[in-house]
Amino acid sequence: MHNLIRFLKRYSYIFLFLFLEGYAIYIIAQNSYFQSSAITSFANEVAGRINSKTYSIFHYFNLASSNEALVKENARLKAQIANSYVKYQHKTFQYQDTIYKQQFEYIDAKVIQKTITKRNNYFMLNKGKMHGVTNSMAVISPTGIVGVVVNVSNNFSLVMSVLHQDSRPNVKNSRTKISGTLIWEGGNYSKGTIIDIPSSIPLKIGDTIITSGFSQDFPEGILVGTIKQYDKDKGTGFYNVDIKFSVDYNKLEYVYIVKNFFKEEQKQLTKDIKNE
Amino acid sequence: MNRKTLIGFIHFILIAAFQIFILNGVEIFGYFNPMIYIWFILMLPTNTPKWLLLVLSFVMGFTIDIFAGQLGFHAAVLTLIGFIRPIFIKFFFSAKDLETSLRPSISEMGLNAFLPYIAILVFIHHFLYFTIEIFSLSEFFYTFLRIICSSIATILIILLFDYLFIRQKGKSTY
Repeated sequence: MHNLIRFLKRYSYIFLFLFLEGYAIYIIAQNSYFQSSAITSFANEVAGRINSKTYSIFHYFNLASSNEALVKENARLKAQIANSYVKYQHKTFQYQDTIYKQQFEYIDAKVIQKTITKRNNYFMLNKGKMHGVTNSMAVISPTGIVGVVVNVSNNFSLVMSVLHQDSRPNVKNSRTKISGTLIWEGGNYSKGTIIDIPSSIPLKIGDTIITSGFSQDFPEGILVGTIKQYDKDKGTGFYNVDIKFSVDYNKLEYVYIVKNFFKEEQKQLTKDIKNE
Repeated sequence: MNRKTLIGFIHFILIAAFQIFILNGVEIFGYFNPMIYIWFILMLPTNTPKWLLLVLSFVMGFTIDIFAGQLGFHAAVLTLIGFIRPIFIKFFFSAKDLETSLRPSISEMGLNAFLPYIAILVFIHHFLYFTIEIFSLSEFFYTFLRIICSSIATILIILLFDYLFIRQKGKSTY
């Protein structure tokens, strides 16, 4: 017994080390992807409050360029105001006197914390559950695509940026309408890669890439970027396309969270097929 | 609260704040992510108890984690650094120094001993951090370049700060 106590005393710091290290690794395992545990939500809430205070100072420096982008966006929206609506009824008479039903709603939000230098990057926004944000909503900015919400607390939400190895939105060439998958290979935050575009269709440098609307998150036609260069992968018969993102993720401040009213319906359809 | 505890507390706040509000926003070509919060652990006095070293490592790592939005990564790696630090301290200091409270710094150790001491621990720290963050070998060269670049940036910043703020012999001047 005496020896045991001496042993424990002598090596107690090793046990302490194992305990702390084990706990840290446990947290990593719990939060590495969806970051959905209560700890993260709480931590987000606390960090979010402090971050929103500090970022409110830095926001002043970018006010001019942000305002300019917002004005441009307003002008663009005014020009195509029916774009976020789908035709709902083909009959000329109906119970409700509208032929359009709203599919997308936009919640405006401000970026209060962001990373762009890591392999997997996240943004934190100042809107949360209380403002109607839920998981897997798309996030866009006035100049293009931003990411998908992966975790929500009461007042804040965490967005998986397109600068993430698990982010694979479906995109298309606005000229040829051929679609592919957007991935990010790390490193330069202004450069993305598109795979799965068949090399039988000619591409042009400078072609505009937009979202295809095939994934239920992003509405169709959100700007992604422009083609910078491409080469054919002879083995697979697909292009490897390098694009320049239209959004400067380092300067990102104001974004919109996209709410898709038909998402459940669309999900149900695919689910039905999988169940069969 | 005695003077030493107070100094340690101020170091903690200042270094954590500098890391969180300044360095976490630094972006140079995607390769340089300096992480100087490790300096807090490296500069603790030589007679700091081992258990306190571990607890402080964990708390510092966890603080950085909360603000970086990735729970666990910094805490896990920094706790390991806190665990292996005594081995390096024993190597770089004489047995007599270990009894007294010396702060590892240029003025105490001289640049010739201080540089390898921080360089080795910073490299181990960065190597583990980036490896855990990526968690795959598929982008090995990109990761390795990030580790090298970030380590060099961190070491240079630590040397600069040490030179600027810890000049007096045995005393820290903030």
